[in-house]
Amino acid sequence: MSELLIKNACVIDPLNGINGDVMDIAIRDGRIVEDVGSSAEVIDADRCLTLPGGIDSHTHVCGTKVNFGRYMSPEDMRAGRTSRNGSMHVTSGYSVPTTFGNSYRYSTMGYTTLLEGAMAPLEARHTHEEFTATPHQDMMANTLFDGNWSVMEAVREKDVKRAAAVVAWILSAAKGFAIKLTNPGGTEAWGWGEDVSSIHDTVPYFEVTPAEIIETMIRANELLRLPHSVHLHCNNLGVPGNYRTTLDTMNLVPDLNSRRQSLYLTHLQFHSYGGTTWRDIDSRSEEIIRVVNASPHIVIDMGQIMFGRTTTMTADGPMEFKLYMLHHNKWSNHDVELETGSGIIPVYYSKKSVVNCVMWAIGLELALQAKNPWQCLLTTDNPNGAPFVKYPEIIALLMSKRYRDQECALLDPRTEKRVPLMAIDRELDWNEIAIMTRAGQSRALGIESLGKGHLAPGAEADVAIYPIRTTEIDPSAQFQQVMAGFSRTMYTIKRGRVVARNGEVIVEGANSTIWVKPRVSHEYDLGNDPEFAKKFQQYYTVRMRNYPVQETYLPRGVCIETEADL
Amino acid sequence: MRFLLNTGRTITQGSNVEHKNSEAYREEASTCRMNPVDMMELDIEERAPIVVRSAHGEIVMQAIPDAGQARGEVFVCLGPYANHIVSPETHCTGMPDFKATVVDIEPTTEGVWPVWKLMESVGGCRYED
Amino acid sequence: MKIEDVVCTFCGCLCDDLVVEVEGDMVVNVENGCTLANKKFMGNNRLKTPIKRDGGNWKKVGLDEAIQTAAGILLDADRPLLYGWSGTHGEAQTIGVHMAELLGAVIDNTSTVCHGPSIMAIQEVGHPGCTLGQVKNRADVIVYWGANPIEAHPRHMSRYTTYADGFFLKEAFRERKVIVVDIRKTETANIADEFIMVEPGADYALLSALRAIVRGKGDVLPRTVAGVEKEQLIRVADICMSAKFGAMFFGLGLTMSRGKYKNIRNAIELTEELNRHTKFTISPMRGHWNVYGSNEVFTWITGYPFAVDFARGIAFYNPGETTSVDILKRGECDACLVVGSDPGAHFPGDCCRHLADIPTIQIDPHVNATTHLSRLQIPVAVTGIDAEGTAYRMDGVPIRTRKVIDTTYPSDSEVLDKIYQIIRKET
Repeated sequence: MSELLIKNACVIDPLNGINGDVMDIAIRDGRIVEDVGSSAEVIDADRCLTLPGGIDSHTHVCGTKVNFGRYMSPEDMRAGRTSRNGSMHVTSGYSVPTTFGNSYRYSTMGYTTLLEGAMAPLEARHTHEEFTATPHQDMMANTLFDGNWSVMEAVREKDVKRAAAVVAWILSAAKGFAIKLTNPGGTEAWGWGEDVSSIHDTVPYFEVTPAEIIETMIRANELLRLPHSVHLHCNNLGVPGNYRTTLDTMNLVPDLNSRRQSLYLTHLQFHSYGGTTWRDIDSRSEEIIRVVNASPHIVIDMGQIMFGRTTTMTADGPMEFKLYMLHHNKWSNHDVELETGSGIIPVYYSKKSVVNCVMWAIGLELALQAKNPWQCLLTTDNPNGAPFVKYPEIIALLMSKRYRDQECALLDPRTEKRVPLMAIDRELDWNEIAIMTRAGQSRALGIESLGKGHLAPGAEADVAIYPIRTTEIDPSAQFQQVMAGFSRTMYTIKRGRVVARNGEVIVEGANSTIWVKPRVSHEYDLGNDPEFAKKFQQYYTVRMRNYPVQETYLPRGVCIETEADL
Repeated sequence: MRFLLNTGRTITQGSNVEHKNSEAYREEASTCRMNPVDMMELDIEERAPIVVRSAHGEIVMQAIPDAGQARGEVFVCLGPYANHIVSPETHCTGMPDFKATVVDIEPTTEGVWPVWKLMESVGGCRYED
Repeated sequence: MKIEDVVCTFCGCLCDDLVVEVEGDMVVNVENGCTLANKKFMGNNRLKTPIKRDGGNWKKVGLDEAIQTAAGILLDADRPLLYGWSGTHGEAQTIGVHMAELLGAVIDNTSTVCHGPSIMAIQEVGHPGCTLGQVKNRADVIVYWGANPIEAHPRHMSRYTTYADGFFLKEAFRERKVIVVDIRKTETANIADEFIMVEPGADYALLSALRAIVRGKGDVLPRTVAGVEKEQLIRVADICMSAKFGAMFFGLGLTMSRGKYKNIRNAIELTEELNRHTKFTISPMRGHWNVYGSNEVFTWITGYPFAVDFARGIAFYNPGETTSVDILKRGECDACLVVGSDPGAHFPGDCCRHLADIPTIQIDPHVNATTHLSRLQIPVAVTGIDAEGTAYRMDGVPIRTRKVIDTTYPSDSEVLDKIYQIIRKET
C-alpha cells in the first residue's frame, strides 16, 4: 500500500464544481481517497494551483507518420537535444520529439493522458509500440475509418449496422479507442490523386459522399455505445472559403447522446476560413462559433497555430500535397491500402504572412467567442499548429487581453481588417482554462468514469501542481508568470506517484493504454463474415490472422468493453 | 584488361547466406560473370580461374560467360570476395562504391580461397564447425 | 503439424502467408515460400553453443560466461560500435539502442551499406510512398529502377506488383505495364514491357532527362542520354504520365552507384513531378526482413534512422562520419558488437581488417564470415522460427513474426537483455 497526502492544495476541479478551494488531497494505491493514515508521504502544495492531470484530446505523438516526421527531419532532431539524466533517456527533436522527449515534456507540463489523433488500423501495432515508449502518459488512439472500403460499402448499402460491425471488429483488432474520420472520402480519392471539395461530392468508384459517411458513422458510433463520439477532421482543411463546408458538416449532426457531444470537430481553426484564395482569406470564426454556441451536441478543439517552425502531419494526404505546392520544401506521403492516407511537410508560420496571422487570430477567436468552455478545448493539433510546448503561451493569450494586444501589434498590418480578434475583450479565467485542458477533455472523450480529469475520491490520482498562486497574480497583467507557471509543474503525479518535479522527470514511467472492445452479437461479428474475410484474402497484403494487434503490445492495457446494440 | 566491377544479389547467394562455409556459397560468391566476347579476348575458358585486381588488392575468382553483361563490365554477387577489393572510401555518404570498382582481370593458375582463408588474410582466425 | 499464416523472415517483403509443417523441433516442409524462404526454414546448420577465441584457439563456453565476456568487452571499450540489427526483432533492437545510450556507443544498422543513401535523400526532399497493397490494388504502371526482384525479393512481383491481381486490376499481368531500368539485362529486365539499359553511373542524368520531359522541356535533350535513345525516354515518360497509378521501386543500383543519395533525390523529385500529372509513388526495395524496423526503432528512441553516435551524451547523427564503414576505415572503434548481420561478408576488406584487430562479438545463429573475425559468438534462436517479435515490412507495415518450433536457444532479446543488465549495473 502506498499513501500520499497533498496538503494546502488550491484545487480547481471543474467536474466536481471545485473552484479555488484550498484543501488536502489524499491518495492511496494510485486513486484519490477520502483520507490516508498518518504515515503517508506528504507534499506541501503551499496554496499553489492544483489541477487534475492534463489531458490532450488531439495530438500526434506516436505511430507511422509521426515517426516518419522524425525520420525525414534530422534538422528538427538537432533543434532539441537532451542527454541522459537520471531516469531520463536521451531525447531529440523540437516539433516532432522522440517518444521519450514527448513524454517528458508533456509530463513536466502536467499532462498525464493523451489521445493520439490518427492511427491507421493496418499500422496500429506501430502506434502501440511507440505508446509503450511514451511511458508517462496513459494513451488512446483515434482509429482511422475515413477511407475504409468495408465502411464505404456499408454506407453505399445504407446499412448502419453493417458499418458499426466493421468498426467493432477493426477497433477491437487495432486496440483503438475511437472513430476518426480524416477528410472522409478524400483519402480514398487521393488513391487516384484526387480529392473531394464538398461534403456532397462522390468518392470515385464507391459512389458515397462525405456527408453520408459522417452521418452513418455518427449513428454507428452510438449503436456501439463508444465512450467518445465520432472525431472528425472535416473536408477541405486549410482551403480558403472552407467555413461553408464546416457549417454544412455541423448541420448534419443529430443529437444522439445525453452524456456527451455527438460529434467532435477537431482543429477547427483550420476549417474556419473565408475568402476565395490565399489573397483574400479572412476569419469566419464568428459564423462557426455561432453554430457551436447553438449546438450543445458539438464539441470542438482549437487547433491553434503559433508562430515559428513546426512539422505538419495528417492522414489528409491530398491536403499535404496542396500545402507542398505552396511551400516547396519537402513532402512525404503514405497511402494505406483499403483504409486511409497520410502526408507530412515542414512549415514555418510567420508574422510577416497575413495568411498565418489570420490563422493565428482565428484559433484564439474560437476559444474567446465560445460561450461554453466545455465545447471548445485547447489544442494546437500538435505539432500541426505548433508543438504542444506552446500551450502555456496560448493559455496566457487567452487570459490576457494585454498580451494579445502586444502580440497583435507585431502582426502584418493587414490582419486587423480580416479578423475580429482585436475587438474581443474577453479574458478567460483559471476555471475555464482547467476545463479547456482537462475536465472538458475527460467529458468529451467519455473517460470521466475511468477516473480521468477530476479529483473526487475514486478518481485516478493524476495531479498537476503548478507554481502559481491564483489569488496573488493578475493573469491579465502578469501573463509572463502564467506562461512560466504552466510550463513547469512543481509536481506531476501519475497514478499516485510523483513522476516529475520542477521540470525534471524523476522515475521510469508505466503508462496504460485505453482501448475499446464493443461486444456484438454473433450475426454482426465480422470475424465470421465471408465478404469481410475476402478483403484480406484478395486485397489486403496482410492476412486476417496476422492483422489484429496482440495483447502483448499493451502491457498495461485497459479495455473498455461496451454492449453494442447489434 | 580493364573492367567495371558491379555487385548485387543473386538467388543462389541468398539461398546460401546462412551457409557461408559451404562449397555452394564459395562457388557463387567467387563467380565473376563476364561478357563472352571479353572472355574470348582474354582467352579465359568457362569456370577458369582469374585474378581480379583493384587499387585495394586482388582476389582469385572463376569466370563464367553472361550475355546480359555489357562489354567492359563484370558482375559478382555481393559477398566477401568482391568486397575484398572494394575501397572503404564512402565520399562522406557512409556507402562504399560497391557497384563501381575499376578492376584489371587476367587469367591465373591460382585457386579460389575458401571464405575462412579470406578472413584470415585480414587478421581473422578460422572457426570450423 | 501444419502452421498457417507464418511470416517469412528473409527479405523486406515479409510474406505472411507461408504454411509451415513441423515435426518436433524440425521444420519439414514449407508451402507458398520462395527458394529463399524454403532454404531458411529448412536450414539445419546452427552453431550449437557459444564459442570464444583465445589467441588462435576456439573453445566452447557456456552462455553465462559468454554473456559476462561480452559485457566486459563492451564496458572496457572507449568507443564501441554496435552494428547490424536488421536480422533481429524490434524488441532486441530497442535493447540495443538503450545499451548504446548507456555505453556512449555508436549504433548503426545495415542501412548504412544498403538504403542509407535513400534515407539521406528522403531527409532532403521527403518520400511520396504508400503501402504495398495500394500498389497491388491500383497500380497500372510499375517501374523497377536498379532493382532485381527476381533474385533479391522473389515474391515481390507475384504478391504486390506485376502478377498480383488487385481490386481495380482483375487481370494484373495484362493490364499493367512494367518498366525496368538497369545497367545489365537481368531476369527482371526480361519480363519488362520497356527495358532501359543505362550506362553505369549515369542514372542521375537519366532521371534528369525524364524530369525534363515530364516538365515539358524535352526539347533541350540530346539524341541520347546515358546511352539511351531519346525516343525511348519520351515513350517511357508518356507511359508514366498516362498511368492511373504509377509505382516506382528502386534498389541498390541507385544507392550504391555514382551519385549515391543524389540519385535517389532525383528519383523522388521525378515522382513528385509526376504527381502533378497523375498519382505516382516511390519505394525503396528494403533488403533484410527487418531493416526497416531497425530504422523505425532507432528513430522513435533517438530521432535518427541509422548511424547514431552517443559519445557526446546526446544522440548525434552525421552520415559519412558516424557510419560504420567510415568508423572502421578510420580504425576508430575499439570493440564491436554485431547482431543479426555479417559485416565480414558485406563490408570492404579494409573494414574487416579492423574488425579482426579489435574484440568483435557476434550474436548470430549461424557461422558466417564474421565468425572468423570475432573473439566471441553467441548463437541465438532465429526470429520467425524459434523466436517471435515485431518486424516492419519494406513499406512500414508492422507484422508480428511467429514462433513455429521450440528450441533451447535464447532469443536475441534474452541475450541482449542479460548483457544490458550487467552494463546497467556497472555504469
